[in-house]
Amino acid sequence: MVTTKKGWYVGRKNNNKLNRTLLKVKSDTELKFGLIGLSLLVFVAVFASLLVPFDPYFFGPDVLNKLGENQHILGTNHLGQDIFSMILYGVRTSLMVAVGSALISAVIGILVGGIAGYFGGKIDLVITECINAFMMVPTFFLILLIIALFDSSITNVMIVIGLTTWPSNAKLIRAQALSIRERTYVKSAVAMGETNLQILFKYIIPNGIFPVLANTTIGMSNAILTEAGLSFLGLGDPNVISWGQMIFMGKQYLTSAWWISTFAGIAIVFTVTVFYLLGDGLNHVLDPKHKSRKDA
Amino acid sequence: MEEKKPFVKINNISMWYPQKSKSLSQVIKREKQWVKAVDNVSLELQKGEILGVIGESGCGKSTLGRALARLEHPTQGDVFIDDVSTQNLIKQDQRKFRRTVQIVFQNPFDTFTPRDTIEKILMRPLKLHGIGKSEEERKQKCIDILESGGLKPAEEIMKRYPHELSGGQLQRISILRSMLFNPQFIIADEPVSMLDVSVRAEIINMLVTLSREKDATVVFISHDIALTRYISDKIAVMYLGKIIEYGDSETIINRPQHPYTQALISNTPSIDLDEIRETIKVEGEPPTPVNPGPGCYFAPRCFKATKNCFKHYPDTVELESGHLVSCSEI
Ligand SMILES: Nc1ncnc2c1ncn2[C@@H]1O[C@H](COP(=O)(O)OP(=O)(O)O)[C@@H](O)[C@H]1O
Ligand SMILES: [Mg+2]
Repeated sequence: MVTTKKGWYVGRKNNNKLNRTLLKVKSDTELKFGLIGLSLLVFVAVFASLLVPFDPYFFGPDVLNKLGENQHILGTNHLGQDIFSMILYGVRTSLMVAVGSALISAVIGILVGGIAGYFGGKIDLVITECINAFMMVPTFFLILLIIALFDSSITNVMIVIGLTTWPSNAKLIRAQALSIRERTYVKSAVAMGETNLQILFKYIIPNGIFPVLANTTIGMSNAILTEAGLSFLGLGDPNVISWGQMIFMGKQYLTSAWWISTFAGIAIVFTVTVFYLLGDGLNHVLDPKHKSRKDA
Repeated sequence: MEEKKPFVKINNISMWYPQKSKSLSQVIKREKQWVKAVDNVSLELQKGEILGVIGESGCGKSTLGRALARLEHPTQGDVFIDDVSTQNLIKQDQRKFRRTVQIVFQNPFDTFTPRDTIEKILMRPLKLHGIGKSEEERKQKCIDILESGGLKPAEEIMKRYPHELSGGQLQRISILRSMLFNPQFIIADEPVSMLDVSVRAEIINMLVTLSREKDATVVFISHDIALTRYISDKIAVMYLGKIIEYGDSETIINRPQHPYTQALISNTPSIDLDEIRETIKVEGEPPTPVNPGPGCYFAPRCFKATKNCFKHYPDTVELESGHLVSCSEI
């Protein structure tokens, strides 16, 4: 990591908060690449319908075309769908799963963990036990079970991933809340007459949210992998195009038409890496320990 | 002499913390060990009076302050302000209690959330308590208050974040903010101990002036005896969670009766006394207040201790009008 000292010092003197943040971002290579990758993904997701050369849902006459054949840059599959277009549409699915499940997981985790850490005592005891119980559950098999039993729509996949991944967020924010509630600014907020809920939402959560942000971003890459895994097992949403499904369907043609699975696999690796870099970069930038080490 | 009714009546306040059982035998016997950070403290304060609370660090001063400000619920006891039980008041109308009782903290660098500007920090309590009719009126009030506290230009300062201000500026803001509600009872927990020596006097003067202006009653917590003497009307000396001596500030400084107070004052070179006294050496560190007693808590370190001192905790006796001491040997 090339965190320049200059970045921090200039940052401290500069009154502009935005500027300071930008300087921090610039100084972390992982975060920088993560952000570039994310912008690319978001751009593709938003403009996918304009960028695709073919309708990915169209079952054309060009079946199992090779790379470049009939203007299909990355070839076609056994149903005649254009692989390149499918990959682009797959970004939407992946991002949707990532963001949707991350939101659910973050909101539940922050609320549950924040309440446990701030209120402490018996509430904390009960919640911590629940969190531990949840953490012992083999998540993927639980997801598998639920999706197999219920409808495998993309919304369900999102919700189930969100509902099974919040405990790690809850643990992180609980630890934060435990220390923040001892801070003077929380005591001074009590002295100024703020209620417990106001303190929880105004002081505890905003000041303790950073590790959750980083964790959630890494959680997004896991969500993408989980969705791909489900699709690969044939439990994905049949109505949307997803990379996992492409790998699943391409599996039987792996020797004759390797491109069906391979590019979807590369897309997954790329997206997961982007979110991982983002999460790790955020961790570096927001972690005070890291900061002081650089400052010293 | 003092027939006036006390304005603030601290009645048997105790703050005990359960200590995590350490040894196996304790776990088996389910013996609860208590850290008696504050133990049965009773004090009376007249309206507008400043009471200094002194004692070594760890003797429970801050805990007493937190209990008085009801940042924590005391294990026992109550505080009456103008004959109103604060225990009831906080249940019935906690905002009113917060407006009546305010606290200034020791660490100004941590008193405000790092995420808000000074403007937001000052506006929030005003809004919360419905002071001022409009946003503009509240903002004007903040500006006026900052300027009255010598923080100029106020508009400029209000745009700043806490980490962009100095400790002195922050502590001024903290004091000014606690004065927003015209509190009747103010607790100041070592308000200048973390500040540069050069700014201490101004901050203390500001606190005292504002309190006098509002005729507020103040508990001033400090381990700086010279400073406490300078600003306080009365002084209470604390040792291991108990008040061991109380009286007029000059009486305590010039004629301390409790051996602990004598030792404490004789070890303060910066103080000019009526007579020159020898430094009294006190052996050892103050013990932690885990199940202390049964005798006088200070007895193990006391240079005057007799067998008697270890038997039971001494009663409090009034030596002269308004001078209270808890010592078996007096
Ligand atoms: N929340 C707490 N839990 C357990 N012990 C505490 C707690 N707060 C304070 N104490 C103990 O109470 C004693 C008094 O602490 P404190 O009031 O901070 O002293 P002072 O302000 O006089 O330096 C110390 O021994 C401290 O360890
Ligand atoms: Mg203290």
